Amino acid sequence: MILIAIILGCVVGALIGINMPMISYTYSGYLAIAIIAALDSVFGGIASTLNKNFDLKIFVTGFFGNAILSILLTYLGQKLNVDIYLAAIVVFVGRMFNNLAIIRRYYIEKWSENRRKNDKKEENKTVGK
Amino acid sequence: MKKFKWRADVTAVTVVVFIVCIVLVSVMLMQFRTIEQTDLIEIETMRESELREALVDWKTKYEEVEKQLEDVNKRIEEYNKTIEDNEAASELIDEELKESNILVGKTDVYGEGIVVTLVDNDNYKIIAEDLIDLVNELRYAGAEAISINEIRVLATTDIVDMAGYTYILVNSQRIEGPYVVKAIGDKEYLSSILNLRGSGFVDRSTTLGKNVSSRQENRVEIPKYNNEFKIDYMRELESE
Repeated sequence: MILIAIILGCVVGALIGINMPMISYTYSGYLAIAIIAALDSVFGGIASTLNKNFDLKIFVTGFFGNAILSILLTYLGQKLNVDIYLAAIVVFVGRMFNNLAIIRRYYIEKWSENRRKNDKKEENKTVGK
Repeated sequence: MKKFKWRADVTAVTVVVFIVCIVLVSVMLMQFRTIEQTDLIEIETMRESELREALVDWKTKYEEVEKQLEDVNKRIEEYNKTIEDNEAASELIDEELKESNILVGKTDVYGEGIVVTLVDNDNYKIIAEDLIDLVNELRYAGAEAISINEIRVLATTDIVDMAGYTYILVNSQRIEGPYVVKAIGDKEYLSSILNLRGSGFVDRSTTLGKNVSSRQENRVEIPKYNNEFKIDYMRELESE
């Protein structure tokens, strides 16, 4: 069900994105930061799901809150003539790598566990014979 | 995924994931399109609105300065023109002055002309009246410059007998015979007028027994007026 929601959401989002008016280049920097923040939230959500401590409220607030906050910080940085968006990128991308590592480790562990189980089964089979 | 301990919330999670997907994908696509379609030049111009404003500012300033420069150049041209005009005018005036000087008699002059010699003889003594008569006739014949015994004859020149006809004053300078009168002008015409039978000065004088002779010359030199020009009483009338 969630998989269907993801696929449907991606298709609808693509349709909306294609038909949306172009935004001016001046604001595309803010949008890029917001996308990075959102992606970070998504990976964080996946990782927490795998760790079985996923919280919907935290996910939703993190998704939108981080995006908006990063935009605001970038804007502030531009006003202060400081490249705050660099810090945001470092933080978000770093966390993204962290989360990806968690996901990767989870699946590797799962995979090796399965293999071990299969080996055991085969052993049992041969022993049984 | 079905291992969530909050299974009851699975609908909410689905809705949230759906919305999140929509937002994320649409925004990402927007961003991709923006980055793809934005021209490099446009990027340069759009990057900072301040930059653009500054550009406009500088442009207007440049235009202003250019206008000023044009104005100044125009003024310089005008000045140059005036200077040229003045130069031309002064040249003209210079030429006029030179001509005037020649005409007035401030310069030594030469040219073709005629030389008339009057000598006292036993029968007849040359008097001022003879000279006046001769000068008048030369002027009538178109003489441009006249001198008597190397004294320039001008409009202000006086020719008077002094001390009972013993000597003559020309330009208040005493002269004695023989009197040599030089005149610059058309030599043929001058001599023909002077020698006109019955009315010409030379003809009349010789008929009366005076010792007067004239000869044409290709080069007659007449000196400049050697006195000062004094203007004590007359003033220029304001003509309007």
